[in-house]
Amino acid sequence: MRIVVTGMGIASPIGTGIDPFWKNAVAGVNGIVNIQSFDPAKLRSRIAGEVQGFDPATFLSAKQIEQTDRFTQLALHAANQAMADAGSLESYEPRRLAVSLGSGMGGFSTFESSAARRFQSKSVPPFTVPRIMANSAAAWIATQYGLKGANLTCSTACSSGANAIGMALDLLRSGKADAVVTGGAEACVLPLTMAGFEALFALSTGFNNDPAHASRPFAKGRDGFVMGEGAGILVLEREDAAQKRGAKIYARLAGYGCACDATHIVAPDIDGQVAAMQVAIEDAGMTLAQVDYINAHATSTPLGDVIETKAIKQLFGERAPEIPISATKSMIGHSIGASAAIGSIAAIMTLQTGTIHPTINLAEADPECDLDYTPNTAAQKKVQTALCNAFGFGGNNVSIVFTTL
Amino acid sequence: MDTAELEAKVIEFIASKVENIDASTITAASKFDELGLDSMDTVQLLFDAEDAFGVTFDGEEVKNLRTVGDIIDYIGKHPPEGKG
Repeated sequence: MRIVVTGMGIASPIGTGIDPFWKNAVAGVNGIVNIQSFDPAKLRSRIAGEVQGFDPATFLSAKQIEQTDRFTQLALHAANQAMADAGSLESYEPRRLAVSLGSGMGGFSTFESSAARRFQSKSVPPFTVPRIMANSAAAWIATQYGLKGANLTCSTACSSGANAIGMALDLLRSGKADAVVTGGAEACVLPLTMAGFEALFALSTGFNNDPAHASRPFAKGRDGFVMGEGAGILVLEREDAAQKRGAKIYARLAGYGCACDATHIVAPDIDGQVAAMQVAIEDAGMTLAQVDYINAHATSTPLGDVIETKAIKQLFGERAPEIPISATKSMIGHSIGASAAIGSIAAIMTLQTGTIHPTINLAEADPECDLDYTPNTAAQKKVQTALCNAFGFGGNNVSIVFTTL
Repeated sequence: MDTAELEAKVIEFIASKVENIDASTITAASKFDELGLDSMDTVQLLFDAEDAFGVTFDGEEVKNLRTVGDIIDYIGKHPPEGKG
């Protein structure tokens, strides 16, 4: 059974809407700025990839805004685009329309603001819990579009979006749904959440005066990831059914692999990453030799980028240096549970356009990062099989494979 | 603030919070459900009123509030924190 992508939507620090996002990604536009949404003076990392100019009032009522966290609002905006792009799903029964969404933190903006009120002995908003809960975004998408089938939310930290897309593939293959709205959403450019990542020394702190060069996967001098936010949504369905209803088809979602390190709650592990990529390629019924692009997880942490490089070399062997790789996070930072959904959209656009977006800020690579990361300038290449990696806290390693039809 | 002034302010506040309502139709006798508010809408309205009027609605007493007049009476009996 072949599963295809028939709709896409995105809200990102370098563009909301597929066209502006992709145009800016190919141009290597930086989306990292000094934090605008709150006063970051107390943080050591005072920069982020924020979705600029986002106004939920353009598509939600005042009451709906009151009842939704920012991560849900971003998810809804991307879902609106993806549903409009996919066209009518009326040929499917509502009970056969599913949602499978990923979010690492859920409604943490609400969690932080409600907690702050509580500590000041003020009442907390009545919608505190339905705004915070991780499945809020999936539930709102279902409600807006009458999607009455399975409604799943996956929270596997930075791999949430990839797991959610994989779960959507499973729903379709197992016959439990006819179409699935899937992807990820995150909005944790927030004081407490960022302080937590700071405490782990995971965030970049040395580029507060030069945010444009802070997110530098694989480059010398990288000092941690830059917090990002956003949402990426795909509409998936069976190829034969999509063709029957005359849908535009972007790409095939061919394979999904996941593996847990089962070693450490935050440290990355080569073997788990290799296993996830291998399982995804096998699941797609393809060979290693067919992979001709990798959208890397590549968060710009000193350790993570080296481990991913080693994992790619271990799996692909001598061919590893020939496979073009790029890091979307170099432009938008790390949008946690949304990141793999956004990376998937970049991979799909690569298949569509024959253009590989660059990894920016890669003037000089770390000697331990010695593969082709498409430095600074986009590359032209006809790509037929793209792998998208996502590795998360909890030892979660996920890879998904997209192909041309 | 005298009672008439408070009533006008509460009605103006409710009109600003309830979608598609004509302020002139709101009176002290208006019940929340007559204004189109369900129970969750009412809880949200009272929460917003706390910030607007500087009061804190007691969790148990809230259950007895049924009308716009009940809110006015409650605020009248519980002057804004720090000013009473």
